[in-house]
Amino acid sequence: MRRTRVVLLLVCLTFFVLGAAALAQEIAFPRDQTLIVNMLTGRVGTPSNFNEWVSWRWRDRGMQNLANEPLWSVDFATGQTIDGLASGDPVYNEDFTKLTIPLREGVAWSDGVPFTADDVVFTIETIIAEPGLNSHPTFATLVKNVYKTGDYEVVIELSEPDSRFHTHFLDRWGCTWIMPKHIFEQVDDVVSFEFDPFVGCGPYKLHSYDPAGYWTAWEKREDWDKSPTGIRFGEPAPKYVLFQTFAESSAKVIAQFTHQLDIADHDAEGFAAAMAQGGTIRAYQLSYPWVVNNDPCLTGITFNTMVEPFNNREVRWALVLAIDIVEYLAQAVDGQATLSPVHVPHLGAYPEYYIEPMQDWLKNFALDLGGGEMFYPYDPDAGLRIAEYARQRGHKVGDDPEELKNTFGLGWYKYAPDVAEKLLIKNGFSRDANGRWLLPDGTPWKIQITDINDVGHHQFKNGNAAVQQWKKFGIDAEYVATDAYTSLQQVGDFQVGAVWPVTEPWGAGADLYRSLNNFYSEYMAPIGELNRGHASRWSSPEFDEIIRRMRATDPTDIEATVAVSTEALKILVEEMPSIPTYGYSGFMTWDEYYWTNWPGAENPYMGPYGHWGTLKYMLPFLKPTGNK
Amino acid sequence: MFIRNYLIPRLLQYFLVIFLGITIVFFIPRMAPTNPVERTIAEIRSRGTYLDPAYVQQMVDALTEMYGLSGSWLQQYKDFWVRLSTGDFGVSFFQFPTPVMTLIKRALPWTVGLLFTTTVFSWLFGNIVGGIAGYAHNRRWSKLLDGIMMFIRPIPYYVFALGLLILFGYVYRKFPIAGGASIGRTPSFTLSYILDVLRHAFLPATSLAVLGAASWFQTSKLIVQNVNAEDFVQYAQLGGVKESRIIFRYIIRNAMLPQITNLALSLGQILSGALITEIVFSYPGLGNLLYSAISTGDYNLIMGIISLSIVAITTLVLIVDLVYPLFDPRIRYK
Repeated sequence: MRRTRVVLLLVCLTFFVLGAAALAQEIAFPRDQTLIVNMLTGRVGTPSNFNEWVSWRWRDRGMQNLANEPLWSVDFATGQTIDGLASGDPVYNEDFTKLTIPLREGVAWSDGVPFTADDVVFTIETIIAEPGLNSHPTFATLVKNVYKTGDYEVVIELSEPDSRFHTHFLDRWGCTWIMPKHIFEQVDDVVSFEFDPFVGCGPYKLHSYDPAGYWTAWEKREDWDKSPTGIRFGEPAPKYVLFQTFAESSAKVIAQFTHQLDIADHDAEGFAAAMAQGGTIRAYQLSYPWVVNNDPCLTGITFNTMVEPFNNREVRWALVLAIDIVEYLAQAVDGQATLSPVHVPHLGAYPEYYIEPMQDWLKNFALDLGGGEMFYPYDPDAGLRIAEYARQRGHKVGDDPEELKNTFGLGWYKYAPDVAEKLLIKNGFSRDANGRWLLPDGTPWKIQITDINDVGHHQFKNGNAAVQQWKKFGIDAEYVATDAYTSLQQVGDFQVGAVWPVTEPWGAGADLYRSLNNFYSEYMAPIGELNRGHASRWSSPEFDEIIRRMRATDPTDIEATVAVSTEALKILVEEMPSIPTYGYSGFMTWDEYYWTNWPGAENPYMGPYGHWGTLKYMLPFLKPTGNK
Repeated sequence: MFIRNYLIPRLLQYFLVIFLGITIVFFIPRMAPTNPVERTIAEIRSRGTYLDPAYVQQMVDALTEMYGLSGSWLQQYKDFWVRLSTGDFGVSFFQFPTPVMTLIKRALPWTVGLLFTTTVFSWLFGNIVGGIAGYAHNRRWSKLLDGIMMFIRPIPYYVFALGLLILFGYVYRKFPIAGGASIGRTPSFTLSYILDVLRHAFLPATSLAVLGAASWFQTSKLIVQNVNAEDFVQYAQLGGVKESRIIFRYIIRNAMLPQITNLALSLGQILSGALITEIVFSYPGLGNLLYSAISTGDYNLIMGIISLSIVAITTLVLIVDLVYPLFDPRIRYK
């Protein structure tokens, strides 16, 4: 009897604890005043460390996108550069050895101390003095002198001409940030300093964070009008902004279904699930293909051109012609992307500067198949073929040619396995009795695409789509997914990768130096050594010459910049060290339950993502729905 | 006699296993293709920060120096033991300059709290209920319970956990879908915070406890059924010994012996974390920390977590070995 009572008591106690736990109220930020954003880079590994000048920090927890202001920001949606702490463009001297930066007046740090030129000078001097800071090698080498000429003007003297030095301070998903001098000058060891609480010039200040790294909360500053965001765009609407990460894709979708997440980046499957739910969830585009298709990033395939047979241009081109881009895009992203035939994404001003003017050249570009036979690989109607695929899938796709070009791109390359075969045979390849391709030495041709171990990533999608295409063509291809892919690619221990075919351009302006400079021969290391340039390890004297000319070209001189960059793009098409396929598709959704007026494709007033620096500039335009 | 013939050799073996285990864990990650310096630079570059290629090599040199990777492996190995003698595993590379012990201390309470509780609960529940069900295996309730456990146990953990998440996080919306505590809460020893933590732990704990209990239940039931058929049990029954005494003192006590060893091993493995649980419920803990350390080549962090795990497992096995005579009087260390 006594034992029964004890058991009953234990059962009651258990139910009491669980019941009380279930009823425990969450400490909630008032939901109608709070914006909740999903973090792209996942759980913060250094929750108490906000020192973004050292190593890698999870900056999209609100540091770069909310509480920090750079000198300038890139907005890829409008193609504009937004002045932040700077009040205008940098002014270079004639030989690009000196630049003057005008600074914005009336800005204060989130602890109330005014921002001045002293902060900028201190930042550069500290970076030069401290080898443990990320930008130290560049600044220590390039900066000869830095000084202020007034409280709001800084002059930087360079040790060698550099027409793009200011881009170190241009925020395109990160840059060199300005330190609050009044805090950092009191620190003995800048490298180990955690900078907690964070102090920035953005319109929000740190509220709290999860010691386990799953969320960070920010509160609007009372003096938000002393931030560049407030000065330029007005008062941000949400009082609080929370950045949260979900380790599991399904939890993220559930969070958005239940209005616990306003901005979410999904994988393709999560995106489809979120869109299928409908209700208050919307995507960037209001109709197919829905995705964010103006991200300044180009995806594709990269050959290791120091490894046979990928050191042969005609082999690389044969592999391009063995791809049916409609099937490829269908498999990778169900056709929800924009093609690009050249090494620059089809977005913003890039089609106007490069892809459209290059159409005639692309149509006339020919491959020599031998015996006087030429083949013109460019297919200006490839985008239309993608549109037809989408129609067959039951999606509503219009007929307006201009709209179709914007949605699916201007063209790509023909599916020509017969021509690919000729090119390979011309180079000594052959087929066995089963139709499988053999290398010139008679051994079976096996291609390994070594890349990321993340099924939701576009590198994974590109790599696997290429594997399917090349298998269909008769090559024994396989995708090797590994977490070590970055290390393997950096030392050249791979055949083919799916790393971006070209480094991402700025996303604003015409300058492609950021992308193309990575093909400079000086950065290419032999296999086994650390490579500093593009993973393809491709370079050429002709291309080097173009890079040197780019360096001497004023990037604000649009005509000259476009002319020299176009020459480089032509060489990349001819040589095809990497295959550009489609622009990065952002599988992002917004919940309109609490907030509306998102910068969708119908009104792209600002970059749409929550993880880019432009989020803070979006917030003044958001409108509360009044839902509680 | 016991000390010289058993305890000292056993302790020597204990320290040797720890030494060899830690040594192996020191060298294996260094043989993997992931280089922590290159991984950090790749992360910084891939995340959009513009690093001029002309200066990347200087950055590699600076990071190699800061991470303490500039000497030979042998030199690093010596430095490691010197550091470890003061309880220092160095700094995490990928979460530089956070000390490894800080990261572990931050994650450990969540992992131990969740896994210790669920492991002990499921062990007790599974063994007691499984034991009784094994003794009464011909009863209808026992067969029904066995059927339920047989249905639950093969469900893949991920599917089961996700099912709970959808059921209680979306359909009924009774429990939080992510995190160890509510957003905005500062950790404190208050009733309100403890209840909040319990509420967040409910789904992950249930997912682990139910599947764990089903597993222990089935094992225990089978062992008890075997013990039940032993002569001494029949003899006790024929001798008129009370049934509850036969169950708990004769059968379950005998059946528990292998289960105690398994419990010790399960408890030792706690320090490896519960990766899938942490992923599904976005729950803090060592599993995610270890996974990220391996994928980024964070040697020091790998060393820290695995070393603790090695020490925990070997220590628990040692303790079980030493206290086994208390559970099984037949064993004597002579």
